Amino acid sequence: MMPEKDFDVVLDECVDRLNRGENIAACLADFPQHAAELEPLLKAMTGTKTAFSFTPSADAKRTARERFHAAMAKRRETSFWQNLFAHRFALTAAAAVIVVAFAAFLAFRTPVFQQPTPTITVAAPNAEGNFAFLVSDEVNAISDFSDLKVTIEKVGLLQGGNSSQWIEFTPEVKEFDLTLLPGDVTQQLWRGNVPEGAYSKVVIYVTAVKGTLKVSGGALDIKLPSNKLQISIPFQVKAGNVTIFTYDLTVVKTGGTRNSKYLLKPQIADSGVNQQPALQTPPGLSHNKTPAAASSASHNQTPAQPPASSHNQTTAAAPAALPDQAKGKPQN
Amino acid sequence: MRLKNEAGKEARLAGLYDEYFDKIARYAYARIGDRTAAEDIAGEVFLKALESLKHYEERGLPMEAWLFKIAHNQVVDHLRETTKTKTKTVPIETVEIIDKDDPQTAAETNIEMQRVTLAMKQLTADQAEVIRLRFLSGLSSREVGEMLGKNDGAVREMQRAAMEKMRKLLNIEEA
Repeated sequence: MMPEKDFDVVLDECVDRLNRGENIAACLADFPQHAAELEPLLKAMTGTKTAFSFTPSADAKRTARERFHAAMAKRRETSFWQNLFAHRFALTAAAAVIVVAFAAFLAFRTPVFQQPTPTITVAAPNAEGNFAFLVSDEVNAISDFSDLKVTIEKVGLLQGGNSSQWIEFTPEVKEFDLTLLPGDVTQQLWRGNVPEGAYSKVVIYVTAVKGTLKVSGGALDIKLPSNKLQISIPFQVKAGNVTIFTYDLTVVKTGGTRNSKYLLKPQIADSGVNQQPALQTPPGLSHNKTPAAASSASHNQTPAQPPASSHNQTTAAAPAALPDQAKGKPQN
Repeated sequence: MRLKNEAGKEARLAGLYDEYFDKIARYAYARIGDRTAAEDIAGEVFLKALESLKHYEERGLPMEAWLFKIAHNQVVDHLRETTKTKTKTVPIETVEIIDKDDPQTAAETNIEMQRVTLAMKQLTADQAEVIRLRFLSGLSSREVGEMLGKNDGAVREMQRAAMEKMRKLLNIEEA
């Protein structure tokens, strides 16, 4: 004979059976010794169940199911990448394939024993030279800084055509503050003679970029991916003209509020050349040049009388205000 | 191995969807008295479960009970939110059961629901939760115990006490 079950256990079993769809009578029949006590309790249970016998609408259930399946599909997509990263071997193999492919690409693209492009260094600046190099800042995140000093070591110009060679010069002004050069304001770093002809690329070799943030007052070293900033932009240095090249830099802020970084990069759209007749002092060279005078000189492309005081100016230590065109928008 | 396990858990969760969506919605409805919100909560529970699936330990709480634990948290959040935003929560006493075919039955069901709701308010919080999880959601005493952090004996005792109280409050005569 089976031992008599505790009433709580019997009641619990009956609740389970009712939950599975059995009726009260079936349960009472199995436990006649507890029937009198069980019946009202089980009726209380069914009454409670009935009161809340709510079935969600088919629409609501379908919509929720669709969302659930969409979330599941999205999760599987993510899992693919997790899976990839979970398998170190696969990742290592993939990395090796990429490296080999890249190396092969370089090997086929560049002859192994290719001679380096010859470089000619321009010996000295020349106040009457045919080429002036200016810098400016395209306004982005520069207003975050109270100062942002860029130090450059040298500038390289790549000659195009058959006589491909680098023309390098050391700027007279090696350090400039980009916060003083917003928008149309430029600063001349060098003027001298470079070979006439076509050029395709301008590279500046940066040694340091140091800034001070306005908000925190903290000093900031801005990192560059390499020490070179280059722009591929074709231009001509023509006989009887002064070619004024404005190299436009910009500081951009990336990342969120927590991990923000500042990057210095060339702004190709605002970089380029402006040609002036050789006898005329190019805009940006004159220390005290007014915007009106600069505008007149550059917009009309005609010889204009330069300010007398500026004619012998060889370096522009202070930035000169110039309109857009004088700043060297590409015109060729 | 771990990934296979993840896929297994996901398949298991998906398998519970049809059966447990209704049970969770009923559980939420019994607590908040709003059908639409209860349906929304049931949907959210499965989405939350999916998000947290990697933290779910198969050797711990059964998945069914785990879903109700999430449902409980969702209900608490919902009640907190409705209180915070001072959105007028529809009291369960005034919930209208829509039954176009038989308005009289609908009215009677409504009255019965109000009566049961008032009776459940007389129970302790644990007793009411046991009733909701056992009667409306169909969890076993063991699963309820795991959810509430009690052993099944304690759950059975609470269940009997709650049913006794409900019987009295609902005026169900002893045989």
